[in-house]
Amino acid sequence: MFRVAIAGAGGMAHMHASCYTANPNACVVGVYDKRPEAAAEMAGANGATAYASFAEMLEAARPDVVDVCVPTPWHVDYVVAAAEAGLKGIVVEKPMGRSVADCEKMADACAASGTPLFVAHVLRFFPEFAEAKRQVDAGAVGNVVTVRTRRGGSFPRAWENWYGKPDWSGGVILDLVIHDLDWLRWTFGDVERVFAKGISPKLPPASEVNSDYALITLKFKSGVIGHVEATWADPGGFKVGFEIAGDAGLLESNFNQPAGVPFVAALQRGAEAGAAVAVPESPTAVNPYYAELDHFLTCLATGATPSITPKDGCEAVRIALAAFESAQTGEPVVLP
Amino acid sequence: MTVKIGILSVAHMHAYSYASAVNALPGAELVGIADHDQARAESAAKTFATRAFGSYEELLAADIDAVIVGSENVRHRPLTEMAAAAGKHILCEKPLATSVADGRAMLAACKSAGVQLMTAFPCRFSPAMVRLKSAVDNGDIGKVIAVRGTNRGRCPFDWFTQLDQSGGGAVIDHTVHVTDLMRWLLKSEVTEVYAEISNRMFQQEFDDTGFLTLEFDNGVFATLDSSWSRPKSFPTWGDVTLSVVGEKGVLTLDMFSQNLVLYSDKTGGVSWSPWGTNIDELMVAAFAKAVASGSPLPITGEDGLAAAAVSFAAYASAKAGKPVAPEVVL
Repeated sequence: MFRVAIAGAGGMAHMHASCYTANPNACVVGVYDKRPEAAAEMAGANGATAYASFAEMLEAARPDVVDVCVPTPWHVDYVVAAAEAGLKGIVVEKPMGRSVADCEKMADACAASGTPLFVAHVLRFFPEFAEAKRQVDAGAVGNVVTVRTRRGGSFPRAWENWYGKPDWSGGVILDLVIHDLDWLRWTFGDVERVFAKGISPKLPPASEVNSDYALITLKFKSGVIGHVEATWADPGGFKVGFEIAGDAGLLESNFNQPAGVPFVAALQRGAEAGAAVAVPESPTAVNPYYAELDHFLTCLATGATPSITPKDGCEAVRIALAAFESAQTGEPVVLP
Repeated sequence: MTVKIGILSVAHMHAYSYASAVNALPGAELVGIADHDQARAESAAKTFATRAFGSYEELLAADIDAVIVGSENVRHRPLTEMAAAAGKHILCEKPLATSVADGRAMLAACKSAGVQLMTAFPCRFSPAMVRLKSAVDNGDIGKVIAVRGTNRGRCPFDWFTQLDQSGGGAVIDHTVHVTDLMRWLLKSEVTEVYAEISNRMFQQEFDDTGFLTLEFDNGVFATLDSSWSRPKSFPTWGDVTLSVVGEKGVLTLDMFSQNLVLYSDKTGGVSWSPWGTNIDELMVAAFAKAVASGSPLPITGEDGLAAAAVSFAAYASAKAGKPVAPEVVL
């Protein structure tokens, strides 16, 4: 039985907590959040104790695993502190960190203490994305030439509007389509160069927004050309889709089907949309969030290496921040 | 008045659709077809119950008001110049020209002859596109921020992949329609083009893949996928899509999504049977109406050249590996 302590009590922390509670090999023993009432609510829902500080939780809850679900810029603080606590493992929500340096710092701290660190790139556990990679690897579409993804919906509301502060969240490029960037790198290999346009990269520091949008073009080292659409500006509901075109076929999910509706207007109604972040669900027997966390716990139990490494988390951030930089400078950014 | 129309070359498959549209249009008459491939002219003339002329000169000397140029891309210029010299109004297939110099020569020839030149951009007549434009013009989504567009298709091969006939592959073929829609919608010109272009789909000399990023002079940014990336087994020829992102909402267009889905044991496959409006008929009708009334054509040669210049800039960008400004053509 893995004793799990969770830092953060926002939307994704709730999802992770419910997955641990449902897992016969885990239980949530501690919750810490800067907002005591949020910590208490989530602790209560999962039979755990709410703590007034992260240090106290590490000490008193005697966790085996710490799961870090705080806003992105503080991942590094919690992960590095947890790395020195002699844990069996650490989970960090995507994106791994706000900078490549932060990601490297987390990876180094965990390597130094021998603590396995798992970056929660849950998309790899969404069945359609996992199956697409299997099909690509099996040559279903031949040699891949282009890949397009789209992701997003309305603007997510959360604590301190932190998603709306690009300095904190990195906007849609870092926070939202890190999912796709990691899946793309996993499926199509390393990226050679990036060109992007977007709203939040062009804003002055300390800006705050209520929507964001970006279009990213990727050239992979394999020659594949990719396009990623990222939106927090679509009131028409959360949408995810992709298509992969190769020299022997085309594989798609929610991308080209004829709806018989050639024109759709999705308009903002009222000033404020609903609360919290839209969390896409895929009703299959196994919840992908459950699957990713169960995978990590299973690796910890068996000593196997998790399928997502700290390097994977770091590289996804590197690609996203290259896109952010390109959108700032107007020039393509070549990756190392 | 009946508008008498001749077709100068049916090398492009769209010319067949235009011929059919002329025949379907009350108030228009398809006087004849000429082609540098005489057998092709005769076959098409038979299909459309019209006369095959022995040469372009012969057709231009006949009693016609206007012509439709449906040739290979590199012949747009000489055929347009001939038609202008003969005093005929012209509907020219896209891309208007394969170089800015050719396009400028075409515009100059029409101007000095006092005839009008229209670029065949039927997508402007799509009822869904008209609806989208009216929503943008009406301010339904506030200020436009970005546009995501696609115009993909199957590779047409034939002369389309012979660069000395086409002037380019997928990028010149599929950039212009959606670029024109964006220019029309935004009332703005493209100031910068970045493109990733490849030929990995067919591994031939011609480009088959193009991912363009565009900046407009009003600050809007856009991307456009102009690839021949639909496989032979795709259930339809391709697509034209736009997603227009504004401050107050998003408008999406999937222009050719009005289809039945047919699962056929006769063909062993899945195909889409379109039931949407025939936009070629609307475009030809608008051309004929303007010619008949002597009013300005709804789309100009300048529009065609501005869109083509974006495709030329895309090739230049891919070669340079950085964003480039398209040549200013107007």
